[in-house]
Amino acid sequence: MRASTTSHKLYKTLFITLLLAAALVYLAPLYVMLTTSFKGIEEIRNGNILALPDSLNTSAWSKAWSSACTGGDCYGLAPYFWNSMRIVLPAVLISTVIGALNGYVLSQWRFRGSNFLFGALLFGCFIPFQVILLPMAMLLAWLGLANTVTGLVLVHVIYGVAFTTLFFRNYYVGIPTELVRAARLDGAGFFAIFRHVFLPLSSPIIVVSVIWQFTQIWNDFLFGVVYSGPGTQPITVALNNLVNTTMGGKEYNVDMAAAVIAALPTLVVYLVAGKYFVRGLTAGAVKG
Amino acid sequence: MGSIKIQQLTKSFGDTEVLKGIDLDIKDGEFLILVGPSGCGKSTLMNSIAGLEDVSSGDILIDGNNVTDLSPKERDIAMVFQSYALYPTMSVSRNISFGLEMRKVPKAEIEKTVADVSQLLQIEHLLDRKPSALSGGQRQRVAMGRALARNPRVFLFDEPLSNLDAKLRVEMRTEIKKLHKRLGTTIVYVTHDQVEAMTLADRIAVMKDGQVQQFGTPYEIYNNPANRFVADFMGSPPMNFIECVVLDDKLVIESQGEKFELHIKHGERLKQAGVETVILGIRPEMITEPKPHVAGALVHSLPMQVDVTEPMGPDTIAFGQWNGTEIQARLSPEAGVEAQATGLIKVQVDTSKAVLFDAFSGARIDA
Repeated sequence: MRASTTSHKLYKTLFITLLLAAALVYLAPLYVMLTTSFKGIEEIRNGNILALPDSLNTSAWSKAWSSACTGGDCYGLAPYFWNSMRIVLPAVLISTVIGALNGYVLSQWRFRGSNFLFGALLFGCFIPFQVILLPMAMLLAWLGLANTVTGLVLVHVIYGVAFTTLFFRNYYVGIPTELVRAARLDGAGFFAIFRHVFLPLSSPIIVVSVIWQFTQIWNDFLFGVVYSGPGTQPITVALNNLVNTTMGGKEYNVDMAAAVIAALPTLVVYLVAGKYFVRGLTAGAVKG
Repeated sequence: MGSIKIQQLTKSFGDTEVLKGIDLDIKDGEFLILVGPSGCGKSTLMNSIAGLEDVSSGDILIDGNNVTDLSPKERDIAMVFQSYALYPTMSVSRNISFGLEMRKVPKAEIEKTVADVSQLLQIEHLLDRKPSALSGGQRQRVAMGRALARNPRVFLFDEPLSNLDAKLRVEMRTEIKKLHKRLGTTIVYVTHDQVEAMTLADRIAVMKDGQVQQFGTPYEIYNNPANRFVADFMGSPPMNFIECVVLDDKLVIESQGEKFELHIKHGERLKQAGVETVILGIRPEMITEPKPHVAGALVHSLPMQVDVTEPMGPDTIAFGQWNGTEIQARLSPEAGVEAQATGLIKVQVDTSKAVLFDAFSGARIDA
């Protein structure tokens, strides 16, 4: 009895140490980024990388936001931040709506070949981005959508639908078929059942889908760099340009501030809806 | 109004034939029970009536109109599901009103219907709750309320009581029967519980392997079963099936090393047909302690070695062996106590309601 309590304590200490170490590995770069972004360039050059800033110097932040040079232009990240928003918001919305409808059909209105179709859709989750770069570029050109926000939205929707369909299908599979049958006998049609019975049950999985899609699309670099034009680049591409554009010495404080700005929206989404994320991922499994 | 006519209905899933030519004629206002073991096709038949499943061939007529190709919505049918299938995000009152809402019934009328139905089922105090805040019995009532609100031509009940505990089940059973009496709407009710079938039905369709084995009143099904399957399925404790050698126009029963001859109703016919062995089907209540006031050519006295007794309260089931087959007798509680004490008792066998089956096919041979 005594021995087991001792070893239990030992394990617990070990686990906590490991977890703390892991957390440290993740948090250390963030710490460096934040402290560096508030330092002046002199302080960075002469001081210790881990030291706290002498004073809260926000000039790097305002420069990164509104006047840093990304390639030829010097408007900061602001225009690209809004570009990203204009790409991400519709893409997240559309892919979530389509995913919900797909999942609803694939789980509750099975038809001949629906399982095959679902499998084929799932396959979409495993296609690497690089593979479709050229054909997609040709398709966008053919549609007249090359270098446009609409084109980028389309690409992200197509890629996202595989994931959102998977989420919603697996969630809806746990909802008893008898509910659909009851609603059909009550006289509700395909969309009425979706709207009145399924949608009100869907908030956890909608949160999952939105977080997932938002993070994926906001963080995307490859599609952004390939399919965007000069005026439609997303923030990830602009960040890259900003860091690689040097006038004189490297401004680490501006780079760091810019990186944090670029990462901020996904962080906010996580903080606001994060607890629903885990809940939503497991909800379907427990319910079924 | 709500008569249902089912003609030569078949249904296959791939190569498996689930319904093999069903013919049923259900009168308006009738309480019909579909009963059978799991996998007999009774639920598929019900879903076909509801329009939730397509049929392979055959026709379904409601009030003379062919509805075989109509959607569930157009059939004017309401259903109570085994899992209740209440809409989890809607309040009780919206659960009840949803069907009316979908059918664009005016608001005032919906409110009146919800009030009437909830009063009828005594769920007025639950109207604002969500289904998750209800007990099993309350959910059952709401599910029935949802069906009632629509005032359909036909009610379908799919094993509605199987998720309730034993006591509540009996209560709700009575309530459903009262409700039917009051509303007079046609009900088709699926169950695998033969007690439910006997107590509720105007007529029972006993199903097995996608076929109707017998379609008749509870009395006919119980007392005049079409074959051994029906006889075995209906009745608890089940009918005794004793394989007997035919001697002239009598059946031979061996008990305690001694042979006894049983007179039966249609003995003459057996003799003429030259049958050598038959299965005697006799219900436990026809094997009892001696009752002096019952007499006649079909009443016999036989010894029985009692192995086990099961006191049920109003009577006691005694287990013994005749012709190498286990048999069950239904004794009075007092006779049960005696049988338990002494082991060997005299029982009275009344063959007036006994039935005979073919030893191989299980078909009735005396009907």
